[in-house]
Formats: sequence, structure tokens, C-alpha cells
Amino acid sequence: MSTKIEPLVNDGYAGEPAKRALQYIQSQREQGGAVVGVYCSYAPLELIRAMGGVPAVLCAFANKTVEAAEVVLPANLCPLIKSSYGFIITDTCPFFALSNAVIAETTCDGKKKMFELISTYRPMFVMDLPQLPDQKESQENWTVMTKKLRTFLEATFNRKITDESAEAEIKDTNMKNDMMNRIFDFAALKPSVISWNELYDLTFLAIPARGGDIFPLLEETIKKLEARVNEGVFFGKVDSPRVLITGCPVGGDATKVFRIIEEAGGVMVAVDNCTGMKLFMDRIEEDTDDPLAAIARRYLKIHCSCMTPNTRRLTELDKMISRFKPDVIVDVILHACHSYNVESYKIKEHAKKVHGLPYLKIETDYSQGDVEQIRTRVESLFDSI
Amino acid sequence: MISAGIDIGSRTIKLAVVENGNVILTRIKANSYNPLEVCGEILEDVKYDAITEIKAFAIGVRKVCPECRTILDIGGQDTKAISLNDTGGIDKFEMNDKCAAGTGKFLEIMATALGFTLQEFIEAGLSAEKSTAINNMCTVFAESEVISMVARGHNRAAIARGIHETICRRSVAMLKKVDIIGKVAFVGGVAMNSCFSNILRQEIGPALFVPEDPQTVGALGCAYIKTTKES
Repeated sequence: MSTKIEPLVNDGYAGEPAKRALQYIQSQREQGGAVVGVYCSYAPLELIRAMGGVPAVLCAFANKTVEAAEVVLPANLCPLIKSSYGFIITDTCPFFALSNAVIAETTCDGKKKMFELISTYRPMFVMDLPQLPDQKESQENWTVMTKKLRTFLEATFNRKITDESAEAEIKDTNMKNDMMNRIFDFAALKPSVISWNELYDLTFLAIPARGGDIFPLLEETIKKLEARVNEGVFFGKVDSPRVLITGCPVGGDATKVFRIIEEAGGVMVAVDNCTGMKLFMDRIEEDTDDPLAAIARRYLKIHCSCMTPNTRRLTELDKMISRFKPDVIVDVILHACHSYNVESYKIKEHAKKVHGLPYLKIETDYSQGDVEQIRTRVESLFDSI
Repeated sequence: MISAGIDIGSRTIKLAVVENGNVILTRIKANSYNPLEVCGEILEDVKYDAITEIKAFAIGVRKVCPECRTILDIGGQDTKAISLNDTGGIDKFEMNDKCAAGTGKFLEIMATALGFTLQEFIEAGLSAEKSTAINNMCTVFAESEVISMVARGHNRAAIARGIHETICRRSVAMLKKVDIIGKVAFVGGVAMNSCFSNILRQEIGPALFVPEDPQTVGALGCAYIKTTKES
């Protein structure tokens, strides 16, 4: 593998996806786009775009704000929640500074209570997320919540969200997701021609961005990847262990896990996390009588561990395993994230018994103190292949 | 052919030298603030590769106990449980996190808190007729718990026994995570603690195997992988 490969998104922001996303959101704002802060994948982004707004994924991945947060929050809380809160009280999240409102969801207890503490900083809409997603009532309630969100956004920003504009955003998302999946297909190649850094760069931008806005970038990316295939460019070695990442959201300081995996000789080919491929894996039903209900149906399918029984996580994992052909599964659990931590047992059993794949759970936070311990585990995991 | 392996632990550095498949020398030195200097002292002018400690123990254990399928290694600052497949490859492994609970260092600190030397602590645990359990696993909190118990007049030997039992149960729980299959090798410095291995034998039964020199098994694994590579 040649040592110097041109970055896939060569715009001067390679490896700094937050700056690229910030630049995108700022440019949308200058054109009159209302900025709405979001924390979680359950926020129906199509509604924000349907009123001419732009979603801003708020800061949640840095260790530097944890200390400030621990003045108020218990130390034994998930670092994502502590970091998020720390960013707000230290006023250091540029995405929050740009936002005029925030959408929150009742995913886990820690987040729910943290949202109460930051509810005074911006107008906030908390969506009551049903946690038995396969119940008929859950679907109905979540649709009601999605429609209430429309009312909140319309009132807060004095704009209209019509069914037609929502339908247009559904189609835009589907187009974007199709393009992203064409890019993910290059990670499925053996050996993979796209690195985790590049995937991270792309998903970081593609989550907030409207498909139409980034269409040229995605098209160019696909051309570059095709060229890599033709030129025989790839990452790692031909026989590098292929890693599928699952579990909690992994961003910022938690990407230490990705770096360690890469340094140990592994290649990340699939990232089944909210910060990775998860949001792009499904389509929203088009041309229905009720586009908001269609949006609600899609979002309720997200296989977060806050759901029970979260059987969809296993079926999605099956699909990813057959598509990306990993050699190992690494489950990244943030400290004190009880639902992912408990669910990890099911994932381990499923990986071993159904797929015969080695499995490693890494429980960590945003500090760098455990890097060497994680390295030992990852190297040993690769030894066991 | 002669080859050597070094296991750099938190408390001690271990060397094993193997000639034509036979161990001809093992050496143990206390580690210091400068581990490389101690390595230099223990073995001069030797170039080396590094393998993971999990692999080192997997290989080392199979050399001293070819039928062992499960490994418990308790060292100065970590505890590892490893299960092997029938050809000796790593199947599953678990390690303690960023915490000294249940390690050799923990036992040393508890001995000191009880006013014992390590040897006295082990003997007290062995001779105790009763056992007083402790509740805290954080080394610092456990130390203050032990000090309070001593101040309240609890029998020191019973506390020593209770500490050994508590750590032993935690170790067995870790072993169960990787599955206890076949013979179980108990290695690392803590395997020299006869109170600990006695209690562990009560939990695991005759499947437990403690090698003669449990502390150097990791270094031995390093030495043997060298011979495997070159032969």
C-alpha cells in the first residue's frame, strides 16, 4: 500500500470534520437557514430542513469539558452526557452558539435529566421516545411526537412545514442515503479502499447536510474511490483484520479506539454506530398520504440499546456482517452506558455463536489514560483470529 | 539454539532462557521507575520483538501444562482470564480495567494495612478459623475499611482470610466470563500465594494447576515463541 494517498475530501478540512460541518452550517445560516441543535439520531432532521432550517449536531465528544460538568453532574455518568453538559455551561460549543433551538429525546435516564439542566439556555423540545418500538401504540405516539415537533418548530421560527416540503426532504434524504451506501460499498471491498478517517469525515458532514447540497461532493468521492480501485490503492495490508465497530456513539476523543485498532494493523470496514453508518442504512417511505408518519416510522427503527427488546440491532448486525465481511467485532461501550453495556452480552453471544466471529468489548471514556490497556486487548484480539 | 523472553510486569521483570526447548535459566528482578534499565541489567545486548501478554501466557502455559485450556494470571497490577482452544490458540480473554482491585498490589496494600508482612498475611489467612469479608474493592476504600475493622477489634487473621476469599471469588467470576474448560492454570506472582491457591482450589477443584514457577510463565512464553518462529 502506498504511503501517501490523497484525502478523499480534499478541502483543507481532512481529519477535522467538525470544522467542515461548522462551515456548512454557517453558510446555511447566512442564507437564512434556522439552526436547530440536535444531540441524537432520533431527531427527525427532515422536519428541520423542511422549514428551510439546518440541523447542528451538538458537541458531545471531548474530554476537556468533563471536568467542568462534574461540578454539577455525578462523576459516574456517561462521558457523552458529561461532555455535552460541560460544553453548554462553559459556552464552548460553536454549534450550540449558532443554534436557536434544541431537540431532545427521552433516550436514556442520564440524558433526560441532563436536558432538564440545559433547558433554560435555548427553547427546547423534548420528544417522548417510546421504547417498545414494535408496539402499535409506540408507532402512533411517536408520530404524534413528530407532529408536535412540527408545531414547536413552526411556532419557534415562525415558518411553515408543509407536507409537500416534508415529502421533498424525504426524497432528498433517500437520495443522500443511496449515495452514502454506494460509498460504503467501497469499504465492503476486500481490501477496503476507504479509511475510517474518511468515513468519519463523510458521515460527520452528511448527517446534518441536505443531500442536494453535498451531491457534487459525494459524486466526486465516488469517482475518486473508483479510481482507487482501478489503481489498486487500498488501506492496510491485503490480510489486515477487518473490524466492525458497534455500540455507543464514537467521536472526538473516543476515536482513540479507532486509532489504536489502526495502529495494531486493523482496518475498520463498518461502523454500526450513530456517528457511523447507522442513520444511512434505511430509506424513508416516499409518496405516502402522511409524510410525517413515514418519517416517524423510519426513526423509530433506529436500533439504539434504549429500545427493548432491541432485536433489530441483531438483524442489522447480520446484514452488516454479510455485507462488510468483518473478521472481528469490537463493541465500544462508554462508561456508565448501562443499556449498551448490558446488551453487549447478547452481541457477544450472537457474534460467536451465529457468526463465529471473535468479539471484544471495550469499555472506555474520553480520557487517554487507558490507551495502552486497550492496545493490549486489541492486539490480543487480532492474535486470536 | 538459545532464545530468551522477558516479561516486564508492573512489580517485577522476569527473564526465561530456553536452549533447544529446555529452560536453562529464569531470573526475576524488582521493577523500578526505569524499567528499561532493569531490562538492561537482567539481559544485556539482546535484540527483541514484543508480543502481547495474552499470547505470551497462552504459549507459556501450554509449555508447562500442555492440556490446560483456561488461564488465570494475577500479577502486580493486572488480572487476566484466558481460555484456549484445543490447539492452544486464544479463544476468549478478559482483563481488569484501570483499577488495581483484585491484583497482587491490592493484596500487598491490605497486608500492610493489617500490620503484616506479605508472608505473615498469607500465613494468617491460611491459619484463620473464621473469615471476615470486606465490602470495598477500590484499593483506597478497602484499605480504610480494613483499618476501621482492625480498630473495632476484628481478628486480623479472619480479615486476611476474608480478603483472600473476596479476591478469589472475583477471579472465578472473571474466569467464568471466558468459560472454565479443562485444566485451569493459575500463574503470575499471586499464584505463589498459598492461601490464595488453596481457596481457589476449593472453588475450582482438582482441575486447578499451579506450575512450579508461576511467575516466569509469561517470560517463558516469549522465549518459546522465538524458538517456534525460527525453527
